[in-house]
Order: sequence, then structure tokens, then C-alpha cells
Amino acid sequence: MTLDWSVVWQHRDALLAGTATTFLLTIATMAIAIPCGIVVAVLRLYAWHPVRAVATGYVELFRNLPLILVVYWAFYVLPILTGLGLSPLATGLAALSLNVTAYNAETFRAGINSIRRGQVEAAMALGMTRAQALRRVIVPQALRRILPVLASTWVSLFKDTSLVSVIAVTELAYVSMQVRAQTFRVLEMLTAMAVLYWLLGYPQAKLVDWMQRRMKVTE
Amino acid sequence: MEFDFAVIGDNWRFLAYGVWITILLSAVSGFASLAAGLVIALLRLYGPGWLRVPIVLYIDSMRAIPVLVVLVWTFFALPIVAGVTMSPFTAALIGLTVHLAAYAAEIVRAGIESVRPGQTRAALALGMSRAQVVRRILLPQAIVRMLPAFGSLLSITIKDTAIASVIAVPELMRQSETVAGQSFQPIEVFSFAMLLYFLMLFPVTRGVDRFYRRVAHLGRS
Repeated sequence: MTLDWSVVWQHRDALLAGTATTFLLTIATMAIAIPCGIVVAVLRLYAWHPVRAVATGYVELFRNLPLILVVYWAFYVLPILTGLGLSPLATGLAALSLNVTAYNAETFRAGINSIRRGQVEAAMALGMTRAQALRRVIVPQALRRILPVLASTWVSLFKDTSLVSVIAVTELAYVSMQVRAQTFRVLEMLTAMAVLYWLLGYPQAKLVDWMQRRMKVTE
Repeated sequence: MEFDFAVIGDNWRFLAYGVWITILLSAVSGFASLAAGLVIALLRLYGPGWLRVPIVLYIDSMRAIPVLVVLVWTFFALPIVAGVTMSPFTAALIGLTVHLAAYAAEIVRAGIESVRPGQTRAALALGMSRAQVVRRILLPQAIVRMLPAFGSLLSITIKDTAIASVIAVPELMRQSETVAGQSFQPIEVFSFAMLLYFLMLFPVTRGVDRFYRRVAHLGRS
């Protein structure tokens, strides 16, 4: 067996572009899924009962589905539902956002619930409105519990972006496997792909550990 | 637009086989990663000091590399390195176990560390050996406390088996893709697959929660 690692360097531009797309997808998905997650969590907690049930159903459904299936489903169903010809990137972004929004909603709900009821009651007894109590009393405390969880969701999301390679989004996994198919340098390209993900993901995982230690809530 | 779910009835055997492979792969890789995770966590906590660095490196690496990458590497690259050929199912089993055992190890470690150190000291003072302390004092309490985390690991395992479709394991995701491609009815087929996955996953998460509530008192001390 002869190995030729120069193939990795020759395709550095494609790999770099793939890496950029991976990061772009991660950032864009989070930018969508954080506000949407807050909305869903608030609907689940405070909205009119039927709306609450819909929000709960959405969260439970997407937390109990494999992401790769959601990606395929979005690829075939979204163009029919919306009547638009979406690019693979937009479809992948939609699928990732649907999935991560459900997880974020659960994170926000748990964060808000973790603050004792008595605090809201006290705030309202002091004359704050419900919205004021939420903004001034609950959110600042809940953030300490929410941020570390969001950070680990970020790392999972970073890895999960590799799944949109199945609908030909040109992110890192797809690009690596394309080069493998063109050059037949299977071992070199797949190892390079794993090493690249490792180099990018490892510091992020370590950062999450550090955040979790820093923000640890002791009661 | 019209839907015709007859395609499900026409291909039910093919899809049922996919469900069976999904359950089989989830059960075997779930069990294997729990067993491996227990061993890894015990080695990390009580094993020789020089083992700690490689174990931590392994665990953190698995947290950094996507399952897809692990599976694809195991199926396509490992045979070149090791000079063996293996079936997609075997490759998926190895890949998933290597990946998930790292998570299982973290759960076991957190469970063991959650038991107050005073209990270990008390047990040692009573003349128990290290192994006895782990077996009789720490694990019985830790295992109960780990149950919710194991429950979510099991549901992650079932979801991750769907990624094995990429290396052509004939599990539910792969079978659905095939049926969708042949029938040109992807919406019906994938929506039905969603229903099947939800029916497999929802009882697991709910069942574990319920079981935990019943036994939670056994883990308190």
C-alpha cells in the first residue's frame, strides 16, 4: 500500500472552502435557533393552551427524530410545501434549524423553570408586570444555567452539520468525500477529514468544559 | 398534491426489515458501549496513572469528531489500514461503539463521582478493598443516578444508527431511501419513516423517565 498525502495539500482550497461552509452553517443555524427557541419556550410556558400543546408537540417530535431523516425530509418536502426551489445549503440550514430550535426551546424552558416560583411572585408583589419579572428577575439568573448548555449544543451542531453532506451541501465532509471519489485516495482523504474535524472541534469541546466549570451553579 | 400511502403497504416487509436492523444495531451497540464505557471510566478513575492521559484524549476526541466521520472512516479506511474486510453492519457496530463508549464513560464517571467521598473512606475504614468499595458501595448508588443519562444515551444511539445508512447498513433510514427512490414517493415514505422513528424513540425516553422516578430513592444517600 502506497500512501500519497500530497493529495490533501493539492485540494487545500476546496477543503478550506468546505470548512468555511461548515462554520457558516453552524453560525447561521444558531443565529436562527436561539431566537426561535426562546419563542417556542415562551409559547410552551405562557401561551394559550392549544398553542402550548402545538409547541410541546413540535419540541417532542424533533427531539425524537434522527437529524439525517429530517434532512432528507426537508430536501423532498420543503420545495413542495413552499413552492420554492431551495438550494441544498438553504435546505440544510432549514433542517438544522428545525432540529436545534427544538433542543434550544427545551434548554430555555428548563432554564426558566429552574428559577423558583416564589421569585416571580415576589417580583409581581413589588409591582412588576409579568414581562418585567421575566426580563429583570428570571432571565439574568436563568442565563447562567442556559449558556453552558447552549455551548454544548453548539459543539453538537458543529458536528451535525456533517449530516447535510447527504443532500450535497458542500461543507467539509462532502468536500472530503468528493475529493476521495475523484482521486481514489480513500485513506488519505478520510483521515484528513477526521483530523480536520478533530482540530476544529477539540478546542470547542474544551471551551465548553471550561464554561461549564466557570458557570457552575451551586445551591 | 395527492398522497398515496399504498406504497407503504406494498413495501412493508422491506421496511419492517429496516426496523429490525435498527433495533438490533441499537441494542447491540448500546449494550457494547455501556460495557466499554464502564471499563473505560473505571480505568480512568482507578487505573494506572499513565492511562489517564490517553483515555481523556480519546473521550475528548470523540466529542470533537462527527459520528458520520467515524462511521465512514471505519467502513472505508480501517479495512485499508487493518487489511480486513467487514460488512457494513460490523463497521457500523464498531464505529458507533467506539463513538458512544466515550459518552458512556463520561456518564459513569459523573455517576461515581456524585457519591460522596466520605462513603468511600468509611467503607475503606471498615476494611473493604478498593474493588469491594466500587462493587458494593459506589456502583449500586451510581447506577441508579446514571439512569436518566443512560436513557438519553440510548435515544442518541437509536438516532445515530440512522447515520449508518451512509455506509449502506440496511436499517430503517436506508430502506426508506431505497423505497423512496424506487417509488418516486419520497414524501409519503419519509413521513412514514418519521412516524416509525418517533414511535421507537418516544417510548424509550418516556419509559426511562418513568422507571427512574420509581427507583430514584435507591440512589439517594
